[in-house]
Amino acid sequence: MLSIADNYFSQFELPVGFEMDLDRLNTQFRELQTIVHPDRFAAAGDDQRLRAIKLSSYLNEAYETLKSPLRRAGYLLQLRGVDVEQVEQSDLDPELLFEQISLRESLAELPKDESALDRIDELNRATSVKLARRQQEFAGSLARSNLGQAKKLFHELQFLTKLQAEIEKAEDAII
Amino acid sequence: MLQISEPGGRPARHVTRKRAAGIDLGTTNSLIATDVNGEVRTLADATGAHLLPSVVHYGADGAIVVGALAKAQAAADPANVIVSVKRALGRSRDELTAGGDYRQYRFDAERDAASPAFVTAAGVRDPVAVSADILRTLVRRAEERTGEAVDGAVITVPAYFNDSQRQQTRHAASLAGIKVLRLLNEPTAAAVAYGLDTREEGDIVVFDLGGGTFDVSLLSLRKGVFEVLATGGDTALGGDDFDKVVADWLADQCGMESIAARDYPAMMQVANSAREALSDGDRVELAWGGASYLLTAAEFSELAAPLLRRTIVACRRVLRDARMEAGAIDNVLLVGGATRMPIVRQAVTDYFGREPLQDIDPDRVVAIGAGIQAEVLAGNKPAGDFLLLDVNPLSLGIETMGELVEKIIPRNTSIPVSKSQEFTTFKDGQTVMALHVVQGERELVGECRSLARFSLRGIPPMVAGAAKVKVTFQVDADGLLSVSAEEASTGCKAEVQVKPSFGLDLGEVEKMLKDSHEHAKADMAARALREARLEATRLMDAIDSALAEDERLLAASEKAGIDQALDKLRQAMAEENAAQIEERTEQLNHASEDFAARRMNMTVGAALRGESINVIDERTE
Repeated sequence: MLSIADNYFSQFELPVGFEMDLDRLNTQFRELQTIVHPDRFAAAGDDQRLRAIKLSSYLNEAYETLKSPLRRAGYLLQLRGVDVEQVEQSDLDPELLFEQISLRESLAELPKDESALDRIDELNRATSVKLARRQQEFAGSLARSNLGQAKKLFHELQFLTKLQAEIEKAEDAII
Repeated sequence: MLQISEPGGRPARHVTRKRAAGIDLGTTNSLIATDVNGEVRTLADATGAHLLPSVVHYGADGAIVVGALAKAQAAADPANVIVSVKRALGRSRDELTAGGDYRQYRFDAERDAASPAFVTAAGVRDPVAVSADILRTLVRRAEERTGEAVDGAVITVPAYFNDSQRQQTRHAASLAGIKVLRLLNEPTAAAVAYGLDTREEGDIVVFDLGGGTFDVSLLSLRKGVFEVLATGGDTALGGDDFDKVVADWLADQCGMESIAARDYPAMMQVANSAREALSDGDRVELAWGGASYLLTAAEFSELAAPLLRRTIVACRRVLRDARMEAGAIDNVLLVGGATRMPIVRQAVTDYFGREPLQDIDPDRVVAIGAGIQAEVLAGNKPAGDFLLLDVNPLSLGIETMGELVEKIIPRNTSIPVSKSQEFTTFKDGQTVMALHVVQGERELVGECRSLARFSLRGIPPMVAGAAKVKVTFQVDADGLLSVSAEEASTGCKAEVQVKPSFGLDLGEVEKMLKDSHEHAKADMAARALREARLEATRLMDAIDSALAEDERLLAASEKAGIDQALDKLRQAMAEENAAQIEERTEQLNHASEDFAARRMNMTVGAALRGESINVIDERTE
């Protein structure tokens, strides 16, 4: 029997926290899917098939949430009772906002041909470095239960992830 | 709490084995595979040929001939020999004739242009019927070779086939009297055959260049679980296109402006033979109109370079979707007859920095993989052997105000999947919410494919933004989508199973993907303007209705300030300047702040809230 656990972490028998053993997560995910996937119930009745679809969907959602650092961070805050959908003015550092805007502007101003690729790579690298650092800080704040600080960092992660997606879009437009 | 028992708990398997088959319904060739003495193999016809050319000849005597004999008639009787019918599934007449690929056929004028049909000597046949004729021939072959009726089949489709193309494939199967156990993506089928054959583990790329479509998938193989990490491709690119560049070159050499409809099949065959000859040699003579023309491998390579570049760009996108580097791939598996071309292998080797695998017959591997999955789904094979975890190839979303698309399930999400998002009403007292389900990667509704429309009625009248409607998208393991909507306070509900009457054609998927990259910037600017206008409209509406109700709360000077800000915003709305609209919206917001605060204290429903939830209008067209 498989049942839905209290949270995504315990579903995969992983400790609750930002640090993630991705190999272990993947192994656990595959093991559980092997049990519940609808293909396992190809010959079963509608009832069982419907339950298989529900459980399998739940596992997919849980897996994708824990796999992505940003979604994992949001989920951890949610588990602590923080509403990450509600963005307060005090959550946003004006200096950070300004930096974001200027980064986006420099991205928009790049030429639309291959001469921009080096600059795009550079922006991409810088963003990755920043993301890694903020993730570390987030893990620390969460461990110290400084939820206000953690929420602030989560929104920074949101900005940086979005910026990364836009950098990729800009690259796509060229290649 | 959800609970489910393990597969061991289900009733004992059937005593009698079921005859299950895997069918690769290809653009150029088709195959069928089934269990032969405990091993899934492709079946040959009486002459020993495994590949059945996907070509059907409709004779004047009503005779229907499928395969090599039909192909042999293509040059002599072009109008009655239907080739590459797979490319016609789910496409309109205009789309078929635009590219020139179907120039030799007559289309039935009686039929709706959205569902074209060929006029042949044996009567009118639509692409579904032609596909059914091919499927019938394959199943007959299996029944003759095994002496048993086929109980069910897994049929493969390009990973990039949209809902409508998948539905038409299913329809063709039922027309041929075949029970479909599952539609399986071609690269996934190839990976299953390869993985179970070699027992190797790791991350593999399946590079599938068929006659008419190109698919690329990245899968992770571990402990019998095949997890699709990302999939992509170019739905209007295949071996046929390599033939076409050769045919165009030949026409050019002959001094023709364009290829006449009558000459087209014959010229394509000459081009095809030449292209295949260049797989083994470095030059080939093409004979046409009594003269002979020399094409070297180097010249061909130059003609084909733009096509090769498109395959590599698709590989790049898939790797990036999965956040992996080309160098980290453990193996590259080549599938599809067109990968026999040395220039294709070279392009793949250069990009991935390793020699692709060539030890599996690229023509048969898809059918074998489908046959194995059919054995499992029919209950013949213990399911413990392997498991497939697939993804959805195109993003699914919903239209919100301002013709924007809110993506609910992004592409490359593992299926089955169920995702919900909350939406709210746009106007005070809105009781109906119109939901429009779309598929595609663009941010504007007009540029995505419309899948379904339905309405949620009976929402109790509330102030704008107060209703909470939960919209749930569910995609099952077969890739079929259903959508439901529910209002929180009353529990009123509406749902729809998405079965589009018409769908995206192959070229359109490609175009939509390309557009979404090319127009990313235009989208952003257009989106910014729409959002600014939307925000402004919402604020003006809210203030108008607030003034109508509670103007008494304002001093005359305050009222004048708000009116002035309203006027300025209205002027800005007439122009296309997003920044200016935003600025004046902000000014209006500021001018009405005190008023809003006073009302907030007085009324229970806060008319100016609900910023984080998307809004949907009540239009029902």
